[in-house]
Amino acid sequence: MKSEVMVGNKAVAYAVKLARANLIAAYPITPQTTIVEYLSDFVASGELPAEFVTVEGEITAQLVCLSGSIAGARAFTATSGEGLLYMSHALHHTARYWAPVVMAVVNRSVRTMQPDHTDLLAQRETGWIQLYCENNQEVLDTGIMAYKIAEDERVRLPVAFALDGYVLSFTAEPVTIPEQEKVDGFLKPFKSLYPVLPETWDAELAEYKKHWQQGKGINEPFTPFPGDENFSHLTMVSWGKGHDLQWRWRAHHEAMMRAKKVIKEVDEEYGRIFGRSYGGLLEEYRCEDAEAVIVAMGTLASTSRVVIDNMRKQGKRVGLVKLKSYRPFPDEEFKDIGKRVKAIGVIDRNISLGEGGIVYGSVRSAVYDLEERPKVLGYYAGLAGREVRVRDIEKVAERTLKVARGGETDSTSTWIGG
Amino acid sequence: MSKKMSIRDLRDEEVVWSGNPACQGCGGSIVGRLVFKALGRNSARVEVASCAPGFMNIRVPSFFGPAFEGAAAFMTGLSRGYKIIGREDIVVAGLIGDGGTVDIGFQGLSGAAERNENVMWFTYDNEAYMNTGGQRSSATPEHAQTTTTPIAKMSRGKTSEKKNVPMILALHHVPYVATASIAYPEDMTAKIVYAKELKGFRYMHIFSPCPTGWGTDPKDTIKIARLSVESGLWPLYEILDGHHMRLTYKPRELKPVSEALKVQGRFRHLKDEEIASIQETTTENWSRLLAMDGKDIF
Amino acid sequence: MIEIRFHGRGGQGAVTAVKILASAIYLEGKYTQAIPMYGTERRGAPVAAFCRIDDTRIRERDLVHEPDIVVVLDSLLSRSVDVTDGLKSGGLIIVNHPGTYKDTGLAGNFKIATVDATKIALDIIGRPITNTAILGAFAKATGLVKLESLEEAVKGELPSRIIATNVEAMRRAYAETSAPADASGLKKAEVVKKASTQPLISYSRVVSDWRVTHPVIDKVACVGCKRCWVYCPETAISMVEDKAEVNYDYCKGCGICAEECLVHAIKMEREEV
Repeated sequence: MKSEVMVGNKAVAYAVKLARANLIAAYPITPQTTIVEYLSDFVASGELPAEFVTVEGEITAQLVCLSGSIAGARAFTATSGEGLLYMSHALHHTARYWAPVVMAVVNRSVRTMQPDHTDLLAQRETGWIQLYCENNQEVLDTGIMAYKIAEDERVRLPVAFALDGYVLSFTAEPVTIPEQEKVDGFLKPFKSLYPVLPETWDAELAEYKKHWQQGKGINEPFTPFPGDENFSHLTMVSWGKGHDLQWRWRAHHEAMMRAKKVIKEVDEEYGRIFGRSYGGLLEEYRCEDAEAVIVAMGTLASTSRVVIDNMRKQGKRVGLVKLKSYRPFPDEEFKDIGKRVKAIGVIDRNISLGEGGIVYGSVRSAVYDLEERPKVLGYYAGLAGREVRVRDIEKVAERTLKVARGGETDSTSTWIGG
Repeated sequence: MSKKMSIRDLRDEEVVWSGNPACQGCGGSIVGRLVFKALGRNSARVEVASCAPGFMNIRVPSFFGPAFEGAAAFMTGLSRGYKIIGREDIVVAGLIGDGGTVDIGFQGLSGAAERNENVMWFTYDNEAYMNTGGQRSSATPEHAQTTTTPIAKMSRGKTSEKKNVPMILALHHVPYVATASIAYPEDMTAKIVYAKELKGFRYMHIFSPCPTGWGTDPKDTIKIARLSVESGLWPLYEILDGHHMRLTYKPRELKPVSEALKVQGRFRHLKDEEIASIQETTTENWSRLLAMDGKDIF
Repeated sequence: MIEIRFHGRGGQGAVTAVKILASAIYLEGKYTQAIPMYGTERRGAPVAAFCRIDDTRIRERDLVHEPDIVVVLDSLLSRSVDVTDGLKSGGLIIVNHPGTYKDTGLAGNFKIATVDATKIALDIIGRPITNTAILGAFAKATGLVKLESLEEAVKGELPSRIIATNVEAMRRAYAETSAPADASGLKKAEVVKKASTQPLISYSRVVSDWRVTHPVIDKVACVGCKRCWVYCPETAISMVEDKAEVNYDYCKGCGICAEECLVHAIKMEREEV
């Protein structure tokens, strides 16, 4: 098995190559730029046969992936921060069209090039699956798994996998590169479920008409049939007045819920084949007998492991919940954890201005219905790329433990480092 | 160069289904019908927000994206995707309104042209954002009344010139750029049939009268299109590879622009000086085009 | 509260009508709500609009499902749209129709008032835009609003150059509206939603009810030049044995074919109601 000391961006490029993505939309933005450069080299050398489209902007990048995916390509693009915000419009469309596009997001804050998670978390309404990585190995592995999750017929939703800008994108560490044959066994070639082909068009429409018209007039409320979301590329059919499209959101939400199981299955299978797995939606690290746990996403989870190990050496019963999937949100898992611990300290590398930490809100909500709720504390750390040190997370864990043992707390989040 | 055609050369096969809910006398419907008649059924069509997706019952796979700025991106993605699955034979054609071409779609258009994507872009130009009720676009001609360039005390219609997109695209040196009009279906079809055999980015800008938005009688749609060509307001030409230019219709003498303008409600307010100004610009433009005719430009 | 539903086709001014009505009622000191129903429909497609009238501010934000009064702007609409759906028992329907209440094909426990708004509009305004005429009929048949209030409201809604003709149409309709007559003894005509025979794609539908005139082709005069065929925006004309033929299901009566025929073989004729 090959391994190399590589930066996170290279790990992304390797994932794309091994997954045999064949349509890459490339637009540069710091700190993602080298991803498209590596891919450009792979394509130019012939190592990766693909259509490499050097687009003129991020919206075009995403929409090219969307339409290419519908036509039958396994599509990929990457972006960061401002580019993702600009692309936001297009993200909604890719998700709405049930196109299994995979995108790497090198997390970057707003109005700075340094990392935080606000860029991708701000897209939580788009219907994309969001997976966060804590080291470059996980980045490579997740990139491959992303396609399997996205293309699963129970899901068919686009997947974004994230890595912290600079901290992972430009930091080199040893990464094992899976063998192509093994990846081919794990990830079959992609076929679009409903390609827009002239010769099958009439039949497709007849099929749709059979279900859709149901003998009603064109302006009457339309009753969806199961599997109707498959015809999402025939959007124009249901744009008339009187057509109730609320069901579309419901269908999408249900697919997101189904994705939870699929993400876990794919992770387990990956572990069996490649020897590495990441817990599915989240990983519990030393939480078995914990009184208190802290929650972190991305590289903050990696640093948190050091803190947990240190404190465990001192006999303190603390654990880490490494949150990998923010969408779909693993509320059942958190509910289960909430039954076992007295306090949860959530570290948000993000903020929803006017309310608070995004992960904090989700965790609190997940445990609310428990008979005996754990206390949930919130912390902001690392926003706009501020460095987060072991000692900072230690403070979080120590305080969470204190609260677990009866200390006072309220719902105001603490700003680490001010 | 496109070869001359007669009405008998137009195929009988209809590539649209009847019964579309467009306005009476919609020029865009005619554009859609003639374009796809010429392209045939082995094509795919892309549309974005505009009147088109709501009304053109075209019998080819349709990719409609409400991302208004995304026409070029959708066409690129489809074209590349078809290539990947070994179906480069499918003609990817976009039927895009002027808004999605000259304004919000302009970035994408230029990008796709510069990359020489293998697609055919058909702009049906009704010279405003008609789908949303008739607001001006940068394709609206100078002096025209629209809902955002009204005729009132402080405003006398659009104050800036119409953006000349065909020439801008010619400077991108794409394989084919042409203007066309529904009043000249043989000329339009000849151009489409010719361009269909080429590879790379092909662009056609088609005049598409809109009775609802222009305040015209539905029955006059073709008449207005014809008068606009015959007065030089809408010259018909083609440019190959951004170099070789040819006027495909040369009336011996141009009709006065007032004939085309006076039947349109959106020009009802024009004073004599304004008509004279339009006449001057049109005559000048025509002379310039005559000078370029048959030559290598740019 | 009184709830009203207007039925029309895109381009006939149903949306403007409810706005004028609401403004007029407000001038008389009551509260109103004017609700259009928007879609991507264009000129000619069935549209609906709603109006509510009350003595206090209206808080409901849903649509009107059980109107007290129904107003129909288009004489052919009731063939394919069930305009009396939800109409309250003892209610009133005002219909644009050249005939009497017995000719409308409507029947039920309500009253019907008619006026030939299309003729009035064509005579006075020159186009078949019946909204102001029908408002005149509304004032007469319901007594809920004064003609003067409507005229005042019209001034705020329409461009100044067409106010005079529209007010005249309104007044004439007011004078010519039949008294509401009981429709409970009549026989209801079937409402047929004609489905398009084309495979469904986008909005393929029968549009024959949208037109006011239709083309009639003189086959003897027709020389088979195909001009009408190529210029038809609806793809409603085909060549049969070298002569042009119109598929009337899909003809909107735009008149382009008649205008472009070089041998004057096509004439536009008024639709029969």
